[in-house]
Amino acid sequence: MRWFGFGFNAFGQIRVRGRATSAASGDVAAEVKVIGPTEVTGHEGRSGRRLKTCRIKASWSRRASLHLNGDSCVCLAGFGAATSDESCGVSVVVSRGCTDASIGELHLTLVFPDRIESWDLQKKEETPSWSMELEPQSESSGPPLNLPLVTGGYIATKPPFYRSLSPHLKAKSLALGAEHAILLCATGAVYTWGLGSHGQLGHGGLTSEEEPRAVEALWGMTMSSVATGGWHSVCISDGGDLYVWGWNESGQLGLPSRGLRKALQQQSSQQAAGAACQVADSSPGEEVFISIQAFPALLDVAPSCEIRTVSCGSRHTAAVTTTGDLYTWGWGEYGQLGHQKLISSDEPKCVEFFREQQLHVVDVTCGTWNTFAAVIAEEVASS
Amino acid sequence: MKTCSSMATLWSKISAVLPPGEEQFPLQFSDTVESSLVDVLKRSRRQLYGDAASSSSRAIDAQIILDFSWEKLNTGTWRHVDKEWRRLYAYGCLFKVAALCREGPSADNVPQAVRTCDMGLLMGAAIMDNILQVIVGILQGEVRKSSKEEDDKTEQVEVKRLKIECPRAPVIRGELAVPRVKCPSLESFNTNHLLPLKPVILEGIIDHWPALNGHRWSIEYLRSVAGCRTVPVEVGSRYTDEEWSQTLLTVDEFIDRYILNEDGVTGLGYLAQHQLFDQIPELKEDIRLPDYCCLGEEDEDDITVNAWFGPGGTVSPLHHDPQQNFLAQVVGSKYIRLYSPEDTDKLYPHQSQLLHNTSQVEAENPDTERFPDFAAAPYLECVLRPGDVLFIPVRHWHYVRSLELSFSVSFWWS
Repeated sequence: MRWFGFGFNAFGQIRVRGRATSAASGDVAAEVKVIGPTEVTGHEGRSGRRLKTCRIKASWSRRASLHLNGDSCVCLAGFGAATSDESCGVSVVVSRGCTDASIGELHLTLVFPDRIESWDLQKKEETPSWSMELEPQSESSGPPLNLPLVTGGYIATKPPFYRSLSPHLKAKSLALGAEHAILLCATGAVYTWGLGSHGQLGHGGLTSEEEPRAVEALWGMTMSSVATGGWHSVCISDGGDLYVWGWNESGQLGLPSRGLRKALQQQSSQQAAGAACQVADSSPGEEVFISIQAFPALLDVAPSCEIRTVSCGSRHTAAVTTTGDLYTWGWGEYGQLGHQKLISSDEPKCVEFFREQQLHVVDVTCGTWNTFAAVIAEEVASS
Repeated sequence: MKTCSSMATLWSKISAVLPPGEEQFPLQFSDTVESSLVDVLKRSRRQLYGDAASSSSRAIDAQIILDFSWEKLNTGTWRHVDKEWRRLYAYGCLFKVAALCREGPSADNVPQAVRTCDMGLLMGAAIMDNILQVIVGILQGEVRKSSKEEDDKTEQVEVKRLKIECPRAPVIRGELAVPRVKCPSLESFNTNHLLPLKPVILEGIIDHWPALNGHRWSIEYLRSVAGCRTVPVEVGSRYTDEEWSQTLLTVDEFIDRYILNEDGVTGLGYLAQHQLFDQIPELKEDIRLPDYCCLGEEDEDDITVNAWFGPGGTVSPLHHDPQQNFLAQVVGSKYIRLYSPEDTDKLYPHQSQLLHNTSQVEAENPDTERFPDFAAAPYLECVLRPGDVLFIPVRHWHYVRSLELSFSVSFWWS
C-alpha cells in the first residue's frame, strides 16, 4: 500500500522542503502548497528495508506514519522533525510495539497493548506527559480499541485527556473536531455534542450541547462511519450514502456556497480587469445557497456510487468510493483538493491523478489543510 | 499610475514606522499559541528585515498566519475568542501589508493593503501601538494623491442622482410628539429627563460640530476621507429577516451600490452600528461627545460611539438597548417611534436568547391578528432632523426608519 499526500506542506510534512535559502518565487509556492498527489516516501527500518506505512494521521504541521508490521513504530514528519540524520526528514518516536496512534497539534497519543501515552510535542521530554494503563485486551472483552475511543471513554485532544462515556451508548467509533464530537454507536445511531454555533451538531439549531444527543434526523438508518472537520460533520450509512451537515462557507458540505462563488467571481474579475472591483451578484436565478446546514443532508458525491470511507480537514472533505475513486470538495487554497489547482470547490470532484495512474484508492485521511490517500495498483484491486 | 519610485517612497515611509530591526520587533505570545505557528511568525519577521526572501515567500507566510488565526477567530463564540488570536490576526495583516507595499509597481497593491489594514483593525486586536492604524493613514495619503483628478467630475453627477428620493415625512401629531428642548442645563436635563427616564429631543447641542459646519458631512466628503476604507455593511430589509446578512465593502462601493444604486441592486444596505470613528480618526474629529454624558457613571473611554449611514428606507426593528443613548442626526432625517419599558407586555418580544431585546411586531405595519395588544400600546414619535439629538433612555423601546439618505451618530453611555 502506497500513500500519496497533497495540500499544505509548509513544514515539509508531505515531502521535505528544499534547503535553498534563495528560493525562486515559484519554488516557495510549490513547496508550501503541494497541488498534485505526491508519494510519501517510506521510512527505512533498522534492517535497512523500507517499512510499510499502514496508517497515516496528520495534524496542522505534522504527519505521523504508523508502521505496524514487525518493528512497530511511529515516524513523525513536519514541524520539529529531525532533518540531520534521517534522509527522509522524519524522526522516529519511542514507540516500539505500539498498535495505534493519533496526533493533534500539541500531542501525540500512542496506544500499546497495556497502556496509552500522550506525548507533548512542544517539549523534548523523556517521558509522556500523560499515560493510562489498559486492561489487557482479550477476545471476549468487546471490540478492539478504536482511537480515540478506549474502554469506558475516549482520549481528548486537550487535558483532561481521559473522558468517560456512558456504557449505554455502546460506543463504536468517535470523531473529534476542534470543538465538537460525533459518536457512532453499535446500533448504528449517531450522537453529537460540543459547540453548535455552525450547525455542526445536526440537531436543527445553533445551540451547543454538553452531553451526547442523538441526531434524530438519522433515526432509523444505520450508519457505519463518522468523521468531523473544523465546523462540519459527515457520516456514511451502511448502504454507502454520505450525509453532511454544519458550516458550508468554503463548500465543505458539497452544497452551493454563496461565499465561495463570490470569492471565485472576485478572483476572476481581478485577473481580468487587473483591479479589485465588486462584481454584481450574477447568481443564477433559482439557485439556493447554503451557508449553514443544521440538519443532515444527503450528498450525492458521484452518480451511483457507494462511499467506503471519508475524512475531513478543517474546511474540506475527502471521500473514497467502493470503486477506488477519491472525491474531494471544500477549501482548496493550499492544494488540499488535489486537482492540480489552488481553488476551492463546493462540488465533489474526482481526483483524476489516481485514475490516470491506474491506482485504486482504498483509504483517506486528512490533516487540517492537507489530504493523504492510500492506494494499491489497479490489477491488485481487481484480482 | 504607480511608478517604481513612488512605491519606493511608500515603502520607506512604512519602514520608518516599523521597529528598526529584528531585535526590536516584539513577538510575545502566551502558551495558547502553538510553537509551529510561532515558527512561521519568526520566519515572517526575518523576511521583513532581510533581503533574501522573495515577495511570494513573504506573502505566503503572511497568509498562513492569517488563515490559521482566522480559523481560531471563528471557533467558539466571538466574545470568548482568546485575545491572542486577534493579535495574531493583526500580525498576519501587518506582514501581508509589508509584503504588498515592498515591491512591485502594481497600483492594485495599495487598495489591497488598505483593505488588509482594515481587516486587521476590524477583526484583530491592536498591536505595536496600533501600528495598523498608523500604516493605513500613510496608505490613505497615497490613495488620495493618485485619485485627486477624478474627484471633481463625479461630484455633480451624484448630487443630481440623490434628488430623486424625497418621500413625504410622516405627520407627527402633537400629543404623540417627543418633547423638544433647546440647550437645557445639565441640571435640568438630569432632573427632567435622565432621572425620570423620559425621552426628549435636545436642540442646538451639536450646532458646533464640524460635521455640521466646516467639514459638513456629505457623500463627497465621506468619499474623500474614507472612500477606500473597508467597513461592515448590513444587507437586507431588517436584522430579523432570514435574508439578512453582513458583508464587507469599501465606503466607495457602499455608496455606489446602496446609496446611488449604480448597478440597479434592489436590496437595502446599511452601514449600521459600526465604530467607524475608531477606524477613521479624521471623522472622529468632526464630532464631539455630548456634555450630558458626564452625568453618567462611566469613563469617557467606555462610551460606545456608532455610525449609522444609509439610504432612505433602512429600518431598525423595534428593540431596546442596555444603555442610555444619545442619537445625533447629522445628515438627512429619520422617523422614530418610542415605547416605554412599562408597556413591554404589549410588544411581544422574541423568546430566543439572541433576539429577546427585539419585538416581533413590525411597528409601522403590525399584524393585528398575531399581535392584538400592540395597538393599545402608547407611544411617542418624531422626525429627527440634522442638528437634533434624541435622548433614548435605557431599555426604552425604539423603532427607526430613515426617510432619505441619512447619517446619524449614537452614543451609548451609562
